[in-house]
Amino acid sequence: MAYRVGIDIGGTFTDFALLKGDEVVVHKNLSTPEDRSLGVMEGLGRLAEQEGLSLPDFLSRCDAIVHGTTVADNTLIEMNGALTGLITTEGFRDEIEYRRGFKEDIWDVRLEPPRQITPRRRRLTVPERVLHDGSVHRALDEDALREACRKLRLQNVEAVAISFLFSFVNPDHERRAHEIVRQEIQNAYVCASHEVLPRAPEYDRTSTTVVNAYVGPRVTGYLEKLVQRLADGGYRRQLMVMQASGGVMSRDYIEGAPIRVLASGPAGGVIGSAHCGAAKGCPNLLCVDMGGTSYDMSLVIDGQAPAEAGWNMHHRYLVGVPMVKVETLGAGGGSICHVNGGMLQVGPRSAGSEPGPICYGRGGTEPTVTDALVMLGILSTDQGFAGGSFTLSRKGVVEAFRALARDLGHANDKQGANDEQGAEQAAFDCWRVVNAAMSQGVRRTTAGKGIDPRDLVMLAYGGNGPAFAAIQAEELGIEKVLIPKASPTFSALGTLVANPTIDEERSYIASSAALDLDRIRALWSQLCERADRHFSAAGFSPGSVQASYQLNMRYPGQNFSLSFPVEGDAPLHDLGFVDEGFPARAITLFNARHMAEYGHVRENEVPEISGVRLAARVETPSPKAAGGFVSKGPPPPPQRTRRANLGRGFAMVPIHSGRSLSPGMELQGPAIIEETFTTIVVYPGWTAQVDDAGDYQLVRC
Amino acid sequence: MSYELNRALAARRAPLPTDAHVDAVTADIIRGAFETVCFESATYLGRAASSPIINQSNERNAAIVDAHGRLAMGAVGTPHLTFVNQMETRWGLMNQERYDWGPGDVFLANDPDHGGGHLPDYCVYAPVYDAQGKLVCIQTLQAHQGDTGGKDPGGFSLDATDLFTEGVIYPCLKLVHRGELRRDVFDAVVRNNRFATFGGDIAAMIGGVQHAVAMLDRLVEKWGADVIRAAINQSIAQTERRVREEVAKWPDGTHEATVFIDHDTAGTRDVRVHVTCTIAGDQLTVDLTGTDDRPELVGVWNTFANTRSYVMCQVVAAMDPTIVKNEGYFDAVEIVVPEGCIAQPPPNKPAALGSFHPACEITEAVCIALSHVAPERSQPQLYKIGMPNMVVGFDDDGMMWMDQGVDCRSMDVSAVAGLDGWGSCPSALGSLILSEAEDAESRFPILNISREMTTDGGGAGQWRGAPGSLNVKQVLKPTSATAWMVSAEHPLSGMCGGDDAIPYTNRFEVGSPAERPILHTAQDLLPAGAVIAYQHGGGGGFGPALRRDPESVKEDVLDEYVSPEAARAKYGVVLTGRLEDYTLAVDHAATQALRAQMAA
Repeated sequence: MAYRVGIDIGGTFTDFALLKGDEVVVHKNLSTPEDRSLGVMEGLGRLAEQEGLSLPDFLSRCDAIVHGTTVADNTLIEMNGALTGLITTEGFRDEIEYRRGFKEDIWDVRLEPPRQITPRRRRLTVPERVLHDGSVHRALDEDALREACRKLRLQNVEAVAISFLFSFVNPDHERRAHEIVRQEIQNAYVCASHEVLPRAPEYDRTSTTVVNAYVGPRVTGYLEKLVQRLADGGYRRQLMVMQASGGVMSRDYIEGAPIRVLASGPAGGVIGSAHCGAAKGCPNLLCVDMGGTSYDMSLVIDGQAPAEAGWNMHHRYLVGVPMVKVETLGAGGGSICHVNGGMLQVGPRSAGSEPGPICYGRGGTEPTVTDALVMLGILSTDQGFAGGSFTLSRKGVVEAFRALARDLGHANDKQGANDEQGAEQAAFDCWRVVNAAMSQGVRRTTAGKGIDPRDLVMLAYGGNGPAFAAIQAEELGIEKVLIPKASPTFSALGTLVANPTIDEERSYIASSAALDLDRIRALWSQLCERADRHFSAAGFSPGSVQASYQLNMRYPGQNFSLSFPVEGDAPLHDLGFVDEGFPARAITLFNARHMAEYGHVRENEVPEISGVRLAARVETPSPKAAGGFVSKGPPPPPQRTRRANLGRGFAMVPIHSGRSLSPGMELQGPAIIEETFTTIVVYPGWTAQVDDAGDYQLVRC
Repeated sequence: MSYELNRALAARRAPLPTDAHVDAVTADIIRGAFETVCFESATYLGRAASSPIINQSNERNAAIVDAHGRLAMGAVGTPHLTFVNQMETRWGLMNQERYDWGPGDVFLANDPDHGGGHLPDYCVYAPVYDAQGKLVCIQTLQAHQGDTGGKDPGGFSLDATDLFTEGVIYPCLKLVHRGELRRDVFDAVVRNNRFATFGGDIAAMIGGVQHAVAMLDRLVEKWGADVIRAAINQSIAQTERRVREEVAKWPDGTHEATVFIDHDTAGTRDVRVHVTCTIAGDQLTVDLTGTDDRPELVGVWNTFANTRSYVMCQVVAAMDPTIVKNEGYFDAVEIVVPEGCIAQPPPNKPAALGSFHPACEITEAVCIALSHVAPERSQPQLYKIGMPNMVVGFDDDGMMWMDQGVDCRSMDVSAVAGLDGWGSCPSALGSLILSEAEDAESRFPILNISREMTTDGGGAGQWRGAPGSLNVKQVLKPTSATAWMVSAEHPLSGMCGGDDAIPYTNRFEVGSPAERPILHTAQDLLPAGAVIAYQHGGGGGFGPALRRDPESVKEDVLDEYVSPEAARAKYGVVLTGRLEDYTLAVDHAATQALRAQMAA
């Protein structure tokens, strides 16, 4: 039997999803931060064992090992990447510091600057200039370039980013500079902007290239080590790596621009969600992932998680490569509830996992969202909760919320006459505030996209998501919530589902009334050749590659382009559709897209093209997911009842154990279902159903 | 259109009448929902608009004003716009019958004498009603337009002697009646604008407001109009209380500041702005008495609504940034603006350039005065830029294009106690996304040559101002260029003993026999190939330079923010080694000696 393995390395756990035929086996073991490949090999060994095979036997039967890594993200969080230098066009040394004027908080004059990857002393310039049409205005001064290299060498740089103006139109200067820098600064990691992000404008491209240089050596070093271990173990195919765009691709391709793996972890979760939702007949999803420190929101539309290449700020640096959009809010189970200027606030400060919420009993003293759930009776303090690994405690929790109640002034209210009631009211207020914050976060995620949350199905995962899912769905007008049982290993599953994909674009700015069709063909041909080369090297036959030929267009003067396919599903190199009728077709398609996005078109304006894009992919086998619900009778009676507040005051609420529920069962809210790693709240007015695949869905009565 | 009207527009408004009680948490949840409406509205406009000034520069603001004309919620956008829009809606509110207000209406206002900022700031707004037909609130959306249909392209006339010269004035114009676009009105508004992309922009503004109104209708339905009224009342009262608490922490006292503008556009020198900030208990009073009122001044008249807004921008910067920005600020702070001075001009004065100067000198003076009580937040929120080199040409159809000069650059980023100036502009302007060479050159016949920070371009201090940048560009076709230079003789002030920023300077036709400095104003036709060079002033320093950590000075020299000469002359730091091979080190003994000598 042929296997496929998906691996996702997180901060605490390394998750595995093994696909054999239609069946998926999941496994988890601890991550090994000092050398993460060790944890990977350990888990693979366990999977082999379970299959009754030796590791070499097992690995030789693997068609694909697909990997999602956070090594680039960690490098940026810890700011411990390569000592990086930048070489850029004379006169443009400071673009990376100006950040186009952007500041994260316009009201706080005490906002600290981001730590500079390339401080000014390591930003050196060279006389050279290419114009917007690709012509050379000033030749590359090679002597000056060698002098710049000498200065960087003196500063012991380990990586060099090269970014010249209009290199995405004519990369000759960058190519030559790349050669010279390699000669002059040996052993340094060198990358050029036309390879990393071949599009305008200069800040976006330069910033992306600088971050690429900064994380590049660590990402490639890590992947090389892992590939070596896998090869030693007996794996004979290319390692496939998850990209932030939601596709996977070979290690060789990734090493051309390691920045592509940044933010790929959350993307894996979204791709897993899309797959799961599609199988259950829900192509339009709002995916919410509430963990310990954050609440991540993303959208799946028509079964696709769109990758956007716009203003993606990551760890205070602009990274312009296509990314599955995941919006993050600092509201998780560990978020701290506090009173500021008389107003109750939840987060963004978090108790993290150490010391964690008060109820963890590890020394936490500040009340968190998880503590509020304990206070409200939503989370159990019974023995054996959370898979038996540890028990939540009320010790200190009531006191903390009592103090919060005093800060909120509840003590003066009638409801605060009783201390315990005051504490419960404060916890309920925290619950309301965090709910509202999450709902507003969702609205901001859909803002400007022409999407009404009411048309979506919510898919909730992460440890804390299902406790809030239905109440938020109600707030947003959503009728149905999916809660897959496999959600704790969703990202690993996502890497298995994701298709090998190359999604790239090339800039070409021209009015659609005066298109140079030869140039458009040439750009798409270049992109086809690149895709061809990388897919072949990764062992895929050229015939298996499907291409979506897309255009980026806008009305003259607009800053933001809209992307849309002009030829959705065609073979590579099949450019027959670029014919005489092409410009007119492009305008019609663009206007339709603009109408869908903004509700109007400009009758008298001729739109312009800003670039061509090619999304090429190969379909690979995916795990089967199923849905559907056929009622098979009532559930067994609840194990017990507990006093809890599910938004309408305290009452005795039935508690069900997830283990006692099987497909076809449904139960009415109010109720609480306790699963191994999560608690599902069935709010009043909602019904929980276990579908044919054993996953939960919540529907409005 | 009188001082009397100004007084009526600025008068404190009562809370909304309501019997509903709302707890603090619910009120804050409703406030969050309002904020999201504003975010959506501004996002809609930013994405759908076609002028670079809106979709690239983000010079826009969405806000919600209540039925009494109080700012209930200001949101994403430019703070300098946030605090002005409620004054424009008040004129409409006072004339609801006259203008036949009703559900589904959308209005346009830009009149400086009826609560407006300056003519180019178009405010599009729409009322929201409850089920009984009672007004609940108003959604506003403001954006700076690239043209106003006046004498000069771009809306800024150096020699304007009245408002009519500057363009078309709308006190309150109905664009949409009960949901139906008034096409005749819309076409007339579009026709009175030179900008080819204006029609798309104004359509995007209408769309953005209507989108927000639909969201607000749903919120009114969900919570009930009375609960929303109570939530607005509570949010505004909460802000007033918090502002007063901040003021009460400051010692009582009076702090004065005077700032000069080099000259008006006609050449009259030393135009004066004077501010007195008085703190008495929890009451802050900002009084502009003593500010210039010479009637012959040209181009330096800032509207009354704008003056209030620019004062507030600086007051807000001095306070805890988590305080909600709404009418509570105006309820807590008294602003005194003498009638007839350049901060509250007589009717029909031209107002476009006043939003630059004296508006920014007003914020600067408030900042200097408050630096005595809030030194850790004393960064002036301004642009001392005069009118930068605005470059204008016409395309083959005779429609105007404009490279408005908001290129990437560094200017006016002052230090505060404990933090050097950083980035390219003061915090309040941090949502304006500056224009890039690759976009501009693909659109306009322009070549950007250089825009790097100038070494020693930031004011020295214990904490250093960010260096200003020198922006050099070449016009590739004959092009007209307009500029008004200020902040050369009176550059941006340092704070609490920090040095002033460097002066702004400007040169036309650099490197040719016709090379000339622009000392005052210019409205020149440049030949093809002409090079223009604009040196921005940097940020001011904070605290005495001799107190700066010598190691930080060394780092600054390595980064070429500061020259080795200035390290010695301004900071009293003696360095050994060479910059060329990065071997600089501080000679601590020699530094100590030099500093002692300089201090004496």
